[in-house]
Amino acid sequence: MTTEFVFATAQYDSGDWDSAPLVPANIIDTIARYTEINVAPTGVIAPLSDPRMLRYPFLYLTGHLPVRFSDAERRNVRQFVDRGGLLFIDDHNHDIDGVFHKTATEEIARTVAPLAELPNDHPLYSSFFKFDGPPTTSHELNGWGDNLVHKHLLAVQRRGRIAVLFSSKDYSSEWNYHPDSKRFLSVDNTRFAVNLVVYALTA
Amino acid sequence: MSPFARLRVVRLFLASGATLRALGWGIVAGLSVLLAATAVDSYLSLSLATRHLLQLVAFGAGIATLAALLWRDRRVWTLHRVALWVEERDPSIAYALVTAVETGDSTLVRTVPKDGWTRTARVGALRAPLVPLAATAITLIVLLLLPAGAVARIRSPHPGDSIRGAVRRNPARSRLSPLLARIEPPAYTHTSASTVDDPTEIRPIAGSVVTFSGQGRAEGIVARVNAESLVANARGDQWSIRMVVGAKPAVVRLTDRSFERLVVINAVVDAPPIVSLHKPAKDSVLRVATGSLALSADATDDVGLTSAAFEYIISSGEGETFKFRSGTVGGSPITAPGATHASITAALPLDALKLVPGDVVHIRAVARDGNTVSGPGVGASETRALRVARTGEYDSLAVEAAAPTEEAKNVVSQRMLIMLAEALEKRRPRLARDSMVGESRTIAADQKRLRRTVGDVVFMRLGGNQSAEEHSDDDAQARAKTMQELLARADSATNRSSDALDFQAGESPVVAVNKPLLEAYNAMWDASTQLELGEPGAALPHMRRALAAIEKARQAERLYLRGRPPQVVIDIDKARLKGKDKGSPATRPPLPAADSATRSFESRLVRAIELSRNDAAATIDSLTVLRIDALADNPGFAATLLPAIDAMRRGRGADATAALARARRMLAGPPTVRDSITRWGGNP
Repeated sequence: MTTEFVFATAQYDSGDWDSAPLVPANIIDTIARYTEINVAPTGVIAPLSDPRMLRYPFLYLTGHLPVRFSDAERRNVRQFVDRGGLLFIDDHNHDIDGVFHKTATEEIARTVAPLAELPNDHPLYSSFFKFDGPPTTSHELNGWGDNLVHKHLLAVQRRGRIAVLFSSKDYSSEWNYHPDSKRFLSVDNTRFAVNLVVYALTA
Repeated sequence: MSPFARLRVVRLFLASGATLRALGWGIVAGLSVLLAATAVDSYLSLSLATRHLLQLVAFGAGIATLAALLWRDRRVWTLHRVALWVEERDPSIAYALVTAVETGDSTLVRTVPKDGWTRTARVGALRAPLVPLAATAITLIVLLLLPAGAVARIRSPHPGDSIRGAVRRNPARSRLSPLLARIEPPAYTHTSASTVDDPTEIRPIAGSVVTFSGQGRAEGIVARVNAESLVANARGDQWSIRMVVGAKPAVVRLTDRSFERLVVINAVVDAPPIVSLHKPAKDSVLRVATGSLALSADATDDVGLTSAAFEYIISSGEGETFKFRSGTVGGSPITAPGATHASITAALPLDALKLVPGDVVHIRAVARDGNTVSGPGVGASETRALRVARTGEYDSLAVEAAAPTEEAKNVVSQRMLIMLAEALEKRRPRLARDSMVGESRTIAADQKRLRRTVGDVVFMRLGGNQSAEEHSDDDAQARAKTMQELLARADSATNRSSDALDFQAGESPVVAVNKPLLEAYNAMWDASTQLELGEPGAALPHMRRALAAIEKARQAERLYLRGRPPQVVIDIDKARLKGKDKGSPATRPPLPAADSATRSFESRLVRAIELSRNDAAATIDSLTVLRIDALADNPGFAATLLPAIDAMRRGRGADATAALARARRMLAGPPTVRDSITRWGGNP
């Protein structure tokens, strides 16, 4: 049994699950940069249809195309949530009228439960860094997608814990760069990822 | 009229009288049993099954009495006995009639009174049933004097009549027994209401209305479900409590002063429809999007479907810029109430969709049920994706008029070989062993040829040359080496469970995509060995495994075409705590162990079992509540508790030990296999 945290990208059959290929490395770098969490130097790809995805406490799912789970994917996601895992879904279209948002929210409602707004004082926003809510992304502000600044994330909670977290903020675009480029940023825009991981690993 | 003809008329009268008398006593016997049962039921409130049994007993008693009397009087059908009966009543005949019957000579009877014999017989026949008729009347009068409901419970027992025929009970006794539960399913299910007597567990569909009712005043009777308390309402000399069934299992705790009764409501949730998309059967890539696409699907539902249709989404664009269109085809409402199955077909006109190269059409079938309580339940099939190839794109999946790919050829051929092997296996009983082995080896030769072809494909993809198997015998050393290498790669690729998901951790996507082909290669090896031995039956599972693996390889192309994501390995030590900011984490304990729920169940089970020494009823209640709590988290454990609860309810006649042990084992999980024995003197 491994004791290190392994960042897992969820692979699903219906869409472009690998649309933000640099996000895993960037988040791994961020976790190492701010915490002492024993993190694996590379991420893994976890097919949702494979029960081995249950090994990972945190799954990152993104894409632009429709999200339609197969029966096996749905069964495993349900079990993943039941076992206390955190599935973080980010809409790479940053468009609430887009097909990713529509199909993913529908699929989560069917597989787990309907998503609801997560209050901005939720412990997620203070699990490591303090945030007043979900940090905005440059893609929200520059007119892409639905041209909206989303004030809340959506979530399904189980026994007081977030089981599925859904973002329309497009962190996938915001964080999809080589970690070496962080040195050019005055404020590291991936810090929220630390909160996500710390929240997923603690009660 | 001859003496014998006259005698036959007398026999008819006597037989009728005897039959009527037997019938009358049979009726009296049956009614007497019913009367006794009614009297007993008035005091003991017999169960529905017992009352059904008593009905059978009453009927049986009647039939038995009738049969016994008919058997006793069976001699009335013989002319000899009838002649004796006449001789007894007319001594002047001086045995002439009996002698005539015995000898068959009617002339021995000199004189025959005109109607003397028949009149006597008629009177006797009329008198015979008088006593049983009187007894029947008395029994009926007694039954009529009893309360109507009490008799009805015995006369026509049915579910829900446990509180009919109310008898005034001792006010000090519990009003929770007898108990009746009436279940009214939601209207959309088109099913009628039902009732359950003395329920311990009911399984209504979610949204049903359940009414518990019993005898006596309503004051002081309360039902608690979860945190909600419901007070009983009065209805005549009965009480009732009405509640709507939620989606989750619940325990209703009915209380009357110090009396308590638990009823489990194990709600059945209306499941969403199950939809299977038959056409198109697979994802595909189109060179040109013209013509129409046939769609067909089946939908089934546990309660009833209301509509079914095909949905499609067309995604256009690439990279960060996508546009989407969506629509529905073949939609039709399903009007038949309670239709649990529907087949839908439609044609998707590709021309009208104006697809351009690069577009992807996602198609699925969707069905809705009539659930008005928590729905409608929406079921969807798996999604099929049709991609229109981009200009200049020539990958292995582009469809054009050309020879099939190697994998496709293998699929066709492997299917043919399976069919040949199946046919041979079917003919096995009629074939001589030599012929069997000969034909089997012919198939084995084809199987080997296919295996070599698969090997070629794998070798080429893994960066090797054409298959080493085609080398001459002079290259035996090289072939053996290459085969070992291939099998090592196959074994490595197919058996590495820990690395299988981790492309970035070293496993080549090419190897991963080729895994199914390697599996097929190995399965074909096993199949050809069995075929060589003349055992097509033993070869078939391997052949089917090979076919499934090749099919999987064809599907895997989709994954491969997406390409390998860039691999960035973070130097953790170099990056460690080099961030510009410091976090201020709130105090957050680590996540509890995943099996804390299991431990909780285990301790509750132990406590419930300990209770059984002094209070079996409390144990039953504890196990019942535990079972309901476990239904969602550990359904296997909940299922094992049910026989234990049933055994404890049956009382001394049934031993719950084995069932409780099974429940305990279910919680403990499968036994742990250790590589070696543990050290002495300590816990493992």
